[in-house]
Amino acid sequence: MSYNVENDRGHNAPCSNRDFDFFYRGLVDQRLLVQKCSDCGTLRSLPSPCCPHCRSFDWQEYPLSGKGVIHSYVIHYHPPLPGFTSPHPVVLADMEEGVRILAAMDGTPPESVTIGTAVTTEFVRRGDVAGLRFRLV
Amino acid sequence: MNNFSSKTAIAGYGATEFSKNSGRSELRLAVEATLAALADAGIDPGEVDGMSSFVMDNNSEQEIFRAIGGKDLKFFSRIGQGGGASCAPLQQAAMAIACGVAKVVVCYRAMNERSEYRFGTPMHSLPPTSDNVIFAYHGAAGLMTPAAMIALMMRRYMHETGATSLDFANYAVTARKFAATNPNAFFYGKPITIADHQASRMIADPLRLLDCCQESDGGVAIVVTSAERARDLRQKPVYIRAAAQGSPGGSVSLGGFYRDDISPRDESAAAARQLYAQSGLGPKDIQAAILYDHFGPSILPSLEAYGFCARGEAKDFIKNGNIEIGGTLPLNMHGGQLGEAYIHGVNGITEAVRQLRGQAVNQVPGVKTMLVTGGSGLPTSAAILGVE
Repeated sequence: MSYNVENDRGHNAPCSNRDFDFFYRGLVDQRLLVQKCSDCGTLRSLPSPCCPHCRSFDWQEYPLSGKGVIHSYVIHYHPPLPGFTSPHPVVLADMEEGVRILAAMDGTPPESVTIGTAVTTEFVRRGDVAGLRFRLV
Repeated sequence: MNNFSSKTAIAGYGATEFSKNSGRSELRLAVEATLAALADAGIDPGEVDGMSSFVMDNNSEQEIFRAIGGKDLKFFSRIGQGGGASCAPLQQAAMAIACGVAKVVVCYRAMNERSEYRFGTPMHSLPPTSDNVIFAYHGAAGLMTPAAMIALMMRRYMHETGATSLDFANYAVTARKFAATNPNAFFYGKPITIADHQASRMIADPLRLLDCCQESDGGVAIVVTSAERARDLRQKPVYIRAAAQGSPGGSVSLGGFYRDDISPRDESAAAARQLYAQSGLGPKDIQAAILYDHFGPSILPSLEAYGFCARGEAKDFIKNGNIEIGGTLPLNMHGGQLGEAYIHGVNGITEAVRQLRGQAVNQVPGVKTMLVTGGSGLPTSAAILGVE
């Protein structure tokens, strides 16, 4: 079995589909995008094809400010992961627009990562792939 | 609802040894466990007409069936979600038998998850299935292992309940104490102390090494048949009082980070509601439990989800000795998956069968009703088992 890997998705993220492509294309343009339902206006973060509130398939890209507050986090130690130096924080933040975003927070000392701390977003490259991470405000 | 409560029973179980290197194929492990389970029940392999397992088992139903000399396989099913599904084959078997689709169903799990490949390693995620694109999306953040996914949930749980790593240690020490007196456990004769737990290295803070289950080689099988048939067989019937799956809206496989409560609890609570409704039983009727411990700390929210204590009280429930034999809810008397082996939860079902038959090494005296659960933090499953 082989899979058709389209060369022209506008990003280099290794495992995506047509529901997620906009997010990775946004990172290439240094924008943090979520979906906004065109009918009821609800924002949704983890991409999905349809609005779980009004079941509309129509949506628009909606850029977030990047500002949020840490809801939870993990400091990853083992095993070492490609593109990261252990230990490195991974942070789930409540964004000011009311949705959650999970992102790396490598580059920040683990001891300064705590629940309730304000964070903002910066855009990074990991190899060929555009990414983002949180940092302290 | 056409209730299947107590209409079927576990008539036999079989297991290989648990190790880090079985030295034989996964299929052979599955076949050894299946034949042992049928022998335990006193049922000829030629009578098997149903098989059920869950994904991430590499043994196909028809290959086991071919090996055991099966004749006419009428029902075979495989449930998604890995360890979350560990009790789902019991529900599949009970429904199939109660509907008359099958008469003798073997539920099985056999893996060389230590010697032939490594479980719990970063989840590299092609092809882009609906679940893999989410693992990849989270993986881009550096969240790539099941330990880290549960750790992210548990960090928030600690924040909300005041639970600490010492509370996690209390469970790990209890599990390893039970394993230390279980000759089938990998950690037989190897208890740990609170200090050992606290000194063990961080894997995904707040999870330490001694919070994590093992990677194990081994196979387990369970034979389910009708209650009437089971009463005529060799072993005391262990009735399936209830069996359920649970996946409420907002569930994501090890990634339910976008709902109000991110602790690994909602799926378990959804399964609990069904179990208690099906069986007419409640948490007070459960005399001992096998709660899935992929990671020991997840025991705390599971105790709350299944109604044994209120939200945030699990740390004190454990600290006060309730999960010991002699406590109000003896828990994971085989040593759990931290101490006995990680056969994706199915070794916990066999421990419940031993307990209910009165054949366990760490026996709870007179136990008649038990809860067994699948993995938490993802779509899950659970069952209530009982004897007369």
